Amino acid sequence: MAKTQNDGLLKAPGPSPLGPGFSLGFALMAPAQLTLLAVVLLPSLMILWLGVTAWQPTAGIPWYKAEFIWFWNFYDLYFDSRFTSAVLRTLLFVAVCVLSELLIALCLAVLFLDEWPWRKLAVSVIILPMMIVPVDAANAFFMLFSARGPINYIIAEVLGREFAYAWLADPQWALLPIMLAEIWQWTPLMFLLMLAGLMNLPENQVRAAVALGASPSRIFVKIMLPLLSPVILIALIIRSIETFKIFDPVYILTRGGPGSATESISMFMYNGAFVFFRIGYIAAAALLVLVLVVSICLPLARVLRR
Amino acid sequence: MPFVQSLVGRKPLARILKRTVVIFAMALSFAPIFWLLSTSFKPYDEWAIYPPVWVSQRPTLQNYRIVFAPDAAKSFAAAQGGSLDYKVAGSAWKAFVDSTIISTAATFFSVVFGTLAAYSMVRFKTGGEHSAFQFLTVRMLPPIAVVVPMVAMFSILNLSDTYVGLVLAYTAFTLPFSVWMVRSFIEDVPQELEGAAMIHGMTQLEAFIKVTLPLIRGGVLATALFVFILNWSEFLFALTLTSGGITTVTVQVAKYVSASSGTLYGVQAAMGTVSTLPVIVFGYLIQRHLVRGLTFGSVKR
Repeated sequence: MAKTQNDGLLKAPGPSPLGPGFSLGFALMAPAQLTLLAVVLLPSLMILWLGVTAWQPTAGIPWYKAEFIWFWNFYDLYFDSRFTSAVLRTLLFVAVCVLSELLIALCLAVLFLDEWPWRKLAVSVIILPMMIVPVDAANAFFMLFSARGPINYIIAEVLGREFAYAWLADPQWALLPIMLAEIWQWTPLMFLLMLAGLMNLPENQVRAAVALGASPSRIFVKIMLPLLSPVILIALIIRSIETFKIFDPVYILTRGGPGSATESISMFMYNGAFVFFRIGYIAAAALLVLVLVVSICLPLARVLRR
Repeated sequence: MPFVQSLVGRKPLARILKRTVVIFAMALSFAPIFWLLSTSFKPYDEWAIYPPVWVSQRPTLQNYRIVFAPDAAKSFAAAQGGSLDYKVAGSAWKAFVDSTIISTAATFFSVVFGTLAAYSMVRFKTGGEHSAFQFLTVRMLPPIAVVVPMVAMFSILNLSDTYVGLVLAYTAFTLPFSVWMVRSFIEDVPQELEGAAMIHGMTQLEAFIKVTLPLIRGGVLATALFVFILNWSEFLFALTLTSGGITTVTVQVAKYVSASSGTLYGVQAAMGTVSTLPVIVFGYLIQRHLVRGLTFGSVKR
């Protein structure tokens, strides 16, 4: 009852000092909306035009006078194996990285359910990777995976023979260091999410199962995991969205090379726009990506509403 | 959760095994950072030596001097036959100053605009559910998709390679975090408090400033630190919207790292260590709120 009264109170703000028609709600919202309008909406509208042109800034023609070429950019993109494999590779990044992160994090979080003296310290050390600037993390992995670097040294010691493999120069395996850098950096976030989820589980059901003598593994699979699934879902969605944009480690470790063997969507678009200067073509790709992201992610985001 | 004691078992062997796994995880988490730190103190001849040197017996500050002192960088480049000249030429001071200016300004605008918008969303229901998702969509867009037209737009407006341009870009792309994070803090404040203040004659705006804002001060501060971390770590905008006039720390790091030419491991590591230090400090300061921030307030802990 009290709530309804106050609702009514707040919704009748009385005469505004700035005259009628002035709404405090909209005024407070305005600065944020205007910023988004300038930085996100206007450029997005610009892609609509650039995407149907063959604009190259190097040709010396201003963008608004660019040659109109109908939908040929999209036609070319469809048959551009560099673009399609960048899309598939990005999806591979998302699948491998996010699932590995989840699996490692879940196993690790289970070990943190009870209390012990240096538990806090352990958490602090384990979440260190997510505190690092991503470019610096990639930099560290760049050094670790150099042909004569520490990783190869350890492998050589284990194998007992010479091992000087140039990870980042091999089109087949250059993806691995990039994925490892990404997994290393973001497993801690997943870990914190899982830990928070596990600690907030309703105790009653688990208690009951314990009292009835169920085995720990059964309790975990049959009771804790289903209760945890909303948190797992949120974690998967958020990490998938972020990993889909993957750029920093790719740029630092390989710049999409050798050739285009490690190009993610972002890296493909960066190379196209800032190395080959094919702005019109890349704008068309951007448009496709925008449509893809909005159509896939928006329904997913509704889950975040709780 | 006391009952989990019975769940995870009391057998000493199982406990030792579990602690070992935890220690192994701690080691893996720390290893790359250890390598970065250790390399930053290595003299030139140990940078790429094989077998690798784990901890240098002859630690030096030379790498840090190359990063920060133009003279040390010049004499180093000269000693290396000038081939590395273009990479170590500029000192990193400029990058730190630029990053500080841009990150601070963008954080300020992002948090102020974000707080106002969040308040408007929670108390006035401006735009309904739609508003919140509009901000979230911004976070989903790969920034590169917007960067391409932005470069064209900025060159018309004379904003490319300026502080204003980067601050604008950073503000917009951290707004979703500010809005969602502050929103989750405002939602924790009972509306009745403002109602009570307004009965005593305050306007809604006064009630917001004098009652709600002090209550969520800690949350807003955490949001600010969080957004600052994001701004400081940002790479793509800094790379594409500048052309030498402005350098952020992340661009400076990338300048030292290059797969194709000479390896500057020591210098890279020194720059990496210094540039990531403020972020680590801030990160631990807001450790409690990190999860809330990175999940847009959907997991509150």
